[in-house]
Amino acid sequence: MNYKRANNILLGLIIAVNLYVIAAPLLPVLNFWWQNRDGTKQVVLQSKVNATQTGPEPNQLIIPSMLLDEKVHEAPISQTIPVLRKGVWRWPEGSTPDKGSNTIFIGHRFTYFNPRGVFYYLDKVKLNQTIGVVWNNKHYRYKVTNIKTVKPTQTSILNSTKDSRITIFTCTPLWLPKYRLVVTAQLISPTGDLR
Amino acid sequence: MSEKRRFWILLTLLLLSLALAVYINSSYSTSLGL
Repeated sequence: MNYKRANNILLGLIIAVNLYVIAAPLLPVLNFWWQNRDGTKQVVLQSKVNATQTGPEPNQLIIPSMLLDEKVHEAPISQTIPVLRKGVWRWPEGSTPDKGSNTIFIGHRFTYFNPRGVFYYLDKVKLNQTIGVVWNNKHYRYKVTNIKTVKPTQTSILNSTKDSRITIFTCTPLWLPKYRLVVTAQLISPTGDLR
Repeated sequence: MSEKRRFWILLTLLLLSLALAVYINSSYSTSLGL
């Protein structure tokens, strides 16, 4: 056995594995910077949020301020882990945009697998910004009315509501699942029942 | 240090690195957004 050659290969593998572990969490930062370098994507997403009609397309969640335009996945609670690996998940015990009440979207803050944390930049969302949801080929537009951090045990965020709203939440702080960052937005169109 | 001894040390380090990578991956995968 040629130990010298084997040692060079092993050293290369060690460096590659550790570089991946260290660098992967920074990839969403690079990705956001690259996509936001000329600001056009945010404008495109904002126009998509403001659109009133759509052709046949999958159910989507659109948040221009964090450059998010992701398909919404449906799955029972027993499939929590695999569905969250795919991206945005609509909480099956919550409502849907066409039925009013509280529609809940959940996603990872960061994962090593693609998509690398759909809600990595949920903390970039500010009050009064608009969020779009495409649901059954219909556009729904929401205005952010509340941003808060809660403990994981505070499940009242999942409760149904009289008004039409969406609740989006993920882990916070960035690398720890200690708390939940919760963004609530109320419907402004098509029915305009914002209170 | 002999090349043979270095080989075993590097192999151990590689296995530890892989174990760390798998651990971190799995811990993120199970730290649900719930």
